[in-house]
Amino acid sequence: MIHFEHVSKRYSEGHDALKDICFTLQTGELAFLTGHSGAGKSTLLKLIMLMEQPTAGHIQVCDQQLTHLGRHEIPFLRRSIGVVFQNHQLLFDRSVFENVALPLQICGYSPQDAARRVRAALDKVGLLDREKMNPLALSSGEQQRVGIARAIVHKPKVLLADEPTGNLDPLLSEEIMRLFEQFNRVGTTVLIASHDLSLIKRMGRRVMTLRSGRLIADG
Amino acid sequence: MDKRRGAVRVTPRATAAPASKAAPAKRGAEHHKVDLKGHSESWVRNHSEVSRSSLKRLLATPLATFMTVAVLAIALTLPGFLFSALSNLQQLTQGWEGETRLSLYLQPTLSSEEADRFSRTLLLRDDIAAIDYISAEQGLLEFKRYSGFGEVVEALKENPLPAVVMLIPKAQAAKDLGLLRASFEAMPEVQEAILDLEWLQRLDAMLAVAKRTVFVLGLLLGVAVLLVVGNTIKMAIESRRDEIIVSKLVGATDAWVRRPFLYTGFWYGLSGALLAWLVIQIAWMMLKTPAAELANLYHSQIELHGLGVIGSLLLLAVSLLLGWLGAWLSVRRHLREIEPR
Repeated sequence: MIHFEHVSKRYSEGHDALKDICFTLQTGELAFLTGHSGAGKSTLLKLIMLMEQPTAGHIQVCDQQLTHLGRHEIPFLRRSIGVVFQNHQLLFDRSVFENVALPLQICGYSPQDAARRVRAALDKVGLLDREKMNPLALSSGEQQRVGIARAIVHKPKVLLADEPTGNLDPLLSEEIMRLFEQFNRVGTTVLIASHDLSLIKRMGRRVMTLRSGRLIADG
Repeated sequence: MDKRRGAVRVTPRATAAPASKAAPAKRGAEHHKVDLKGHSESWVRNHSEVSRSSLKRLLATPLATFMTVAVLAIALTLPGFLFSALSNLQQLTQGWEGETRLSLYLQPTLSSEEADRFSRTLLLRDDIAAIDYISAEQGLLEFKRYSGFGEVVEALKENPLPAVVMLIPKAQAAKDLGLLRASFEAMPEVQEAILDLEWLQRLDAMLAVAKRTVFVLGLLLGVAVLLVVGNTIKMAIESRRDEIIVSKLVGATDAWVRRPFLYTGFWYGLSGALLAWLVIQIAWMMLKTPAAELANLYHSQIELHGLGVIGSLLLLAVSLLLGWLGAWLSVRRHLREIEPR
């Protein structure tokens, strides 16, 4: 599902964010990406999302070579990927429901179909009763769950999460991780960047460790 | 049970994709299929939704929107009004154009029979297209009727007016007309031959200059409209930066992101055109009565017309185009800068 082949990323100011990364994430796998801040976790996720272009190597996502993807094809790749951000990137000028519905509107779902899917996603993260509220009125744990609902509402093949538990207390963090596990169980490929080592250890899944841009451990 | 619930429960009714019969393990990541019909339906739906929501967004800030629309309307009113004024003037002169007349004022010593005979001989010439003979009496009658000096004329013992032959020469080139005029003036019966070409030529030249001026003015104001719309859209883009980034992250195409702003430009163009049209029509209505009075003083019937159907449609089309183009230019310039980082 996700395949990295000798991928390097050097930013224009000369900083090497990733060096010669090779790994394969099988369809239906769940893996953690860990390392200190600045080790290259976010850069790796950005490469998958095509928010950045690699300076060397090849990346394959959902059977598509990203290096060959034209600018107009990027949106369609992104539609097959759900992303959860640390700062959850919610829009505060609209309700929880409208936030979650955004990917469906973009993909062109009919309003009825979209409403059903939005409610299903909100139900999944336990926020069905909050759909009319503004995300500002929610706690940060709830906001994060709205972000997760938005990431999975259109049933992406791949779910990426960048420090999804960054600002949450241990109990909430565990809850969020269990959610990701549930999505993985129904077939979604999940890659989670996190530096919460104790939590990762408890999950007992594949862990890839980055240090200053190199993959130093995988397993 | 619970682990299947959220991801699977929505699929049974979304049966558009037969792939939903695939193995349960795949269902979680199942891709939504939108067929061609569904695609065009959703495209139409998106357009109507976006056009409505961008209008709503404009109406949510009525004062700011009105200010922008007023600026656009003023910029459109000026050239629109001047263009219609020019077309009124042109219509006024159209009756004379293309038929340059030569007026022969006959010698006052000629008797009316002699004058009549002279005009008849002119009929035989093949370089003249038409002839109108106005005898001295006829001229006096017309003068009495139209000048308002009827009583003064009554007091005169003699008719001071000469007989006039108005003729339309076949030749229309300025040089030929000059020669013709000279040859007529050389005739003993003719006291003076006057070409009424010159003032028409001057009027035409003035109209051409005015036309060009209005055109340049219109062009400049059109650019102003572009800039105003462009800048307004730029601010709208800036205020929706977060939304654009998030939309791009979840797979919005450039066209999708562009659409609300293009519709905003469209609405600006439409409302600017409507307001400008209203102002222009009101201005012409206000001018109608004084213009008619003025025309009356010249014993002429001037029918002022406003923009007319074609002019109105042209104003609308130009305004819509400018609104849309201004938005498009602004969107093209600023939207690419906003990429998720």
